[in-house]
Amino acid sequence: MRSVALPYTRIDVEPGLKKIILFEIFFPMVLLVLGIAMGFLQVLYRAGIIHAQSFLGIEYYQGLTLHGTINAIVFTTFFAVAFGHAVIRFYTNKPLHLGAAWTSLILMTLGTLMAAVPMLTGSASVLYTFYPPLKAHPAFYFGLVFVVIGSWIAFFSWIPQTLRWKRENPEAKMPMAVLGIYATFIVWFIATIPVAVEIIFLLIPWSLGWTQTVNVPLARMLFWFFGHPLVYFWLLPAYVMYYTMLPKLAGGKLYSDFAGRFTFLWLIAFSAPIGIHHQYTEPAISTTWKAIHAFFTLLVAIPSLVTAFTMAASMEHGARQRGGSGLFGWWGKLPYLDRDRWMFGYLFAGLFLFIFGGITGIVNASYNLDNVVHNTAWLPAHFHQTVAGPVFLAFIGGSLLLLTTLTGRQVALKSINVLVPYIWSLGIMVFSTGLFVGGVAGEPRRTNLGLSYTNPDSPLFQADWSFSRVFGAIGGSIMFAAMLLYFVVFFATLLGKKTSQSTLELPVSEPYHDEDVPAVQSLRPWIVAAVILLFIAYTVPFMELARARYEGAPPYSPGSPVAQSQ
Amino acid sequence: MAAQVGIEKRIIAASAVFVVAVSGVIFLTVRLFGIGLPTCLTDVRPFREAQVLQHAPDRYEIHYVARMWRFEPAEVAVRPGSTVDIYLSTADVTHGMQIVGTNVNLMAIPGAVNYARVKLDKAGEYLVVCNEYCGLAHHNMAAKIRVTDEAEDLGGPEPAAPQVTGGAKILDDNGCTACHSLDGSESVGGTFKGLYGSTRTMADGATVVADDAYIRESIVDPEAKVVQGLDPLMPPVSLTDADLNAVIEYLKTLR
Repeated sequence: MRSVALPYTRIDVEPGLKKIILFEIFFPMVLLVLGIAMGFLQVLYRAGIIHAQSFLGIEYYQGLTLHGTINAIVFTTFFAVAFGHAVIRFYTNKPLHLGAAWTSLILMTLGTLMAAVPMLTGSASVLYTFYPPLKAHPAFYFGLVFVVIGSWIAFFSWIPQTLRWKRENPEAKMPMAVLGIYATFIVWFIATIPVAVEIIFLLIPWSLGWTQTVNVPLARMLFWFFGHPLVYFWLLPAYVMYYTMLPKLAGGKLYSDFAGRFTFLWLIAFSAPIGIHHQYTEPAISTTWKAIHAFFTLLVAIPSLVTAFTMAASMEHGARQRGGSGLFGWWGKLPYLDRDRWMFGYLFAGLFLFIFGGITGIVNASYNLDNVVHNTAWLPAHFHQTVAGPVFLAFIGGSLLLLTTLTGRQVALKSINVLVPYIWSLGIMVFSTGLFVGGVAGEPRRTNLGLSYTNPDSPLFQADWSFSRVFGAIGGSIMFAAMLLYFVVFFATLLGKKTSQSTLELPVSEPYHDEDVPAVQSLRPWIVAAVILLFIAYTVPFMELARARYEGAPPYSPGSPVAQSQ
Repeated sequence: MAAQVGIEKRIIAASAVFVVAVSGVIFLTVRLFGIGLPTCLTDVRPFREAQVLQHAPDRYEIHYVARMWRFEPAEVAVRPGSTVDIYLSTADVTHGMQIVGTNVNLMAIPGAVNYARVKLDKAGEYLVVCNEYCGLAHHNMAAKIRVTDEAEDLGGPEPAAPQVTGGAKILDDNGCTACHSLDGSESVGGTFKGLYGSTRTMADGATVVADDAYIRESIVDPEAKVVQGLDPLMPPVSLTDADLNAVIEYLKTLR
């Protein structure tokens, strides 16, 4: 099989699909303004600058719930679907099923609004992990279910499209971007089944008062069965951009076609059977199974290491095409601040952050090392270098890319736009440095520190946690400034003048090494492997939970220490 | 082309070797240094009674109960060099418990009991924090372990704490003391000490004397009058008339 060069660089898109994609970019972007503001408030609270339980009518943990849900669930899911539509439409060059796309959009939007109401009125301050027995208003759970079902419908609608393309191109490899989108949504589909079981069979009946108690250890295992592949659902669209756009933007070719396919397929197999590494410090799960999940977790580091190599090699190839030379001298020849290739900066800065995010991820995965960092500020530091690093930068860059091409506009304020990813990354580095240090010193995550541990008037005051206060607040402020600039660029672009034909144009990288390795040409064996691994990883832990018969827990409101009577 | 495919494959192989090496190091730390993770205890029933037991001069057992928003016992003193077995149970929601500066980092999960063993060599005070979100006063949930030569010899199970009765017990049972202190110390919802008969300023600037009617209303319908500077976070608490009276009588004693 061989890679086939696309005979076009841009395509015309039906007005209906254009509307759908643009709405899926615009709607979460508006919510993201709130989500980012909530993030900024977090660092101010934690540093004790806002010394209160609430600010501007929003309570601390309510704001934290909004921050996590909007930024990590709503924005990411909408973007993944919008980007999926664009990639499938662009590479198969066939009209999509608009009815399905509209249904998907309506369900996701409705679900978001349904979940937003209880969050904004303070009746769902359960954070975006919604661990029982803290209970949210039922509308919160229903809303999440609708968002997930909406995203499934979009995914299912791409399948007949792709199969038709395959029949028409029997000799061609599946385009890398299409493979990446399939990996994204296969991982998402596998991941969302256990959380759907948790929400529909455990949490909704319990929150409605139909059942009196909930089995908390079971709910938690189902949640993390979802929670870890979720992070690959975030990461995979960013990987699609790395493998298919970055080499082209750098001026060269993708170093290895095989490496890309291997990465996507390996993540399908190994992103799910590892959820227990989030539960290392819990009772109710034996150390044997914690260790097995630890080993599987380390195995998902392999595609990240391969990606690091392939991206560096691809950028080197690009830089040498642009006249770079020497062992390290070529690093100077990349388009870091090229205003017209601004997307390079968004992807490059994310890769830089991912070096640190990846290393600290290996720390978290390393079984007994987790004792030191579990539930501490170390964790948000780690995932701001991953989710808020490569993922977030690729998603806001991708949003801007789709906005410009589909509306036929130029990016507004180009010289500011090109700086945004670097300012953001500087903020992340400062913020994370503070939180890493704080985490190792025992500073807890998800905590309004300003009222206790960082409050000099409190008996709980910890003088040696001030390093993280200061770095967290400075880093967070830089991140906030970067996002203000981004929002200005985004909305100025949206309101700017149309300068060219509306079209869909994505940067497309050709492979430098176009290997023909049969093992990475078909999805099927990797999906089968994923299912087998899931059975291996989870059968016994679930049986252990079932056998132990842990007593159920009644619902609690986050505001009261007394169980809610039904 | 074949040689080039070799480079990518070598990278994958090197990554795999790295992963196996990290796994090997972890395995060795577990085996050689005994640094493990909590496991599945199925033979200990969840408990609601906190206890400190001393089995030998340097062997202790602490049964911690985590609840919104405190640990019981709030403070424990042990001798330097003691080995301490920690059992953790929750009375309500999910909590976390980290003894800062040690490897003890446990989740308290409803329905299950968690366990860790720690050796406390250095004299001093260890901070115990709740590190999992457990509700709106989560940031106040902490405890202390003092490691000191002056630790009292417990000589067996600690005598049961004196039973609180009447209004004090009602306040405790309904979780009021999680946010309202009894001794005048700063707390989320303000202290009960000196409340009765005092003049309170409301959010709208009006002043009210904290008499029987005011206290009754503040318990049953807390949002009716909100004290200036406090957030309207308190849930309504339904108490019988007899209990309300007992609480008011008790508050009168906290002058």
